[in-house]
Amino acid sequence: MALEQVDIKRRLSGVDVPTRRKGLLVTPELCIGCRGCQTACKEWNKLPGDRTVNRGTYENPPDLTPNLFNRIRFVEVGSGDALKWLFISQRCMHCTDAGCMKVCPAPGALYRTDEGAVAFNKDKCIGCKFCVAGCPFNIPRYDEQGRVAKCHLCSDRIAYGLQPACAKTCPTGAIRFGDREELVSYAKNVGFKSLYGMNDLGGLGVLYAFKEKPSYYGLPDKPDFAPTISLWKGILKPLALIGLGGALAAAATHYITVGPKETDEGGEE
Amino acid sequence: MEKRLLQKTTAWERCNHWILALSFIVLFLTGLGFLYQSLNWINTVFGGNHLAKEIHRWGGLVFAISLILTMGNYFAEAVSFTEEDKKWLSSLGGYFSRTEEPPPQGRLNAGQKLFYLVVVLIFGLAISLSGFMLWFFNTSRGLILFAHFLHNLSYIVFAFAVPLHIYLSTAANPGTLRVMTRGTVSAAWAKKHHGKWARDMGVD
Ligand code: HEM
Ligand code: SF4
Ligand code: SF4
Ligand code: SF4
Repeated sequence: MALEQVDIKRRLSGVDVPTRRKGLLVTPELCIGCRGCQTACKEWNKLPGDRTVNRGTYENPPDLTPNLFNRIRFVEVGSGDALKWLFISQRCMHCTDAGCMKVCPAPGALYRTDEGAVAFNKDKCIGCKFCVAGCPFNIPRYDEQGRVAKCHLCSDRIAYGLQPACAKTCPTGAIRFGDREELVSYAKNVGFKSLYGMNDLGGLGVLYAFKEKPSYYGLPDKPDFAPTISLWKGILKPLALIGLGGALAAAATHYITVGPKETDEGGEE
Repeated sequence: MEKRLLQKTTAWERCNHWILALSFIVLFLTGLGFLYQSLNWINTVFGGNHLAKEIHRWGGLVFAISLILTMGNYFAEAVSFTEEDKKWLSSLGGYFSRTEEPPPQGRLNAGQKLFYLVVVLIFGLAISLSGFMLWFFNTSRGLILFAHFLHNLSYIVFAFAVPLHIYLSTAANPGTLRVMTRGTVSAAWAKKHHGKWARDMGVD
């Protein structure tokens, strides 16, 4: 795809997010649980339905699948008259500091689009499943071939100025698409002082207008990828080349200073 | 002095060594291609990331099997720590002096024993086991994270130690490469590098 050839370095590095970044604003209080977004996503991405069983809840399917890039979680909180039903959209957050991209060993399998989305290319994915361990939100899924599948912020729509299928279909504005900065100021205007994802992981592409603590909605209060990933990326990874270079330099230095251990007698091969 | 050749390794030992070394080099290179985006071209040479992944996995199996097999060749000797090993270590093998010579050594010196035990065996097992975890047990997040870390940690140890091993087996000790090519060494080489072993082999 021609689109993919643009500025390939930035797309692969994954961290350099464009300034005019696109994003979504999710407002659970506006969601009526119609799941139009689930259906619209399947339609645009040509994803088949998953066969599920009745678990005694309207929430369906029970989890994200390789054929389900977004899902409304139905969460019951409180009890009796104080019972509340929350509807929360679960999907890829398009993190700035994306754990999935950090650990992916196949460049191009996950890439940053010009709009700041984290998109994927199944042809390049080698199916190692590292990204699922790297993701703080447990988002990536695998198809039957073991290739990655997740929300890509409708990268093939937003690149042409269309809004994502889920946002377009949402009848209440619970999923709102736009310039990330404009979404932030919009949310501030309607009274949300802080947004989930504003600064987490360098800023999420998907912002949540929460009235309570994130954990109330079933999201981590302080999302972060595993500490071993930072340790690996920050220390182990550079050390591999430094170690190799250091060993070669040490060997060369030894050879020209102390020198080899020659066998005294000449007749040596 | 008579031109005598002493047999230091068996043909089996040498085959074992080179299968281990060859698989290691393939694993090291494809690993480097996966580790650094800027070095991913290495895996293009191996036929692209998909093929490189298969080569890395099956190469890992070859490496792990040869690794286990080396135990028959070196393990017993490597775990026996002698008086000479102590002296070899305190003189740092004589590698940092032009005059100091460590005392006569057995078939393996302390440095070789340590290289075998610590680098090859311990980190070799760690890198193999974590590799198999990433291959077969990649359904658990915690397991992937643990194995990914261990795999990379062991990789660094090898990235540092193997080039030194190659240097010590070639340029640093002329005549040593024969040990792993022909299997034989001259009596002079044996006396110089493994004096105690040479004596046991009947060279005075
Ligand atoms: C092209 C690369 C390599 C060369 C030229 C090389 C050469 C040699 C030589 C000449 C010896 C015999 C030393 C002696 O007995 O005095 C030896 C021993 C040995 N090599 Fe290698 N080697 C290479 C790669 C490797 C690799 C990759 C491994 C393991 C990952 C390895 C593991 C061993 C072990 C365990 C021994 C037994 C004695 C010792 O610990 O030094 N070698 N090698
Ligand atoms: S939410 Fe997970 S999959 Fe999405 S960008 Fe962040 S780390 Fe990657
Ligand atoms: S499964 Fe695919 S996308 Fe995920 S880390 Fe591995 S190669 Fe990258
Ligand atoms: S942005 Fe597109 S891919 Fe992502 S959940 Fe919405 S419709 Fe699906």
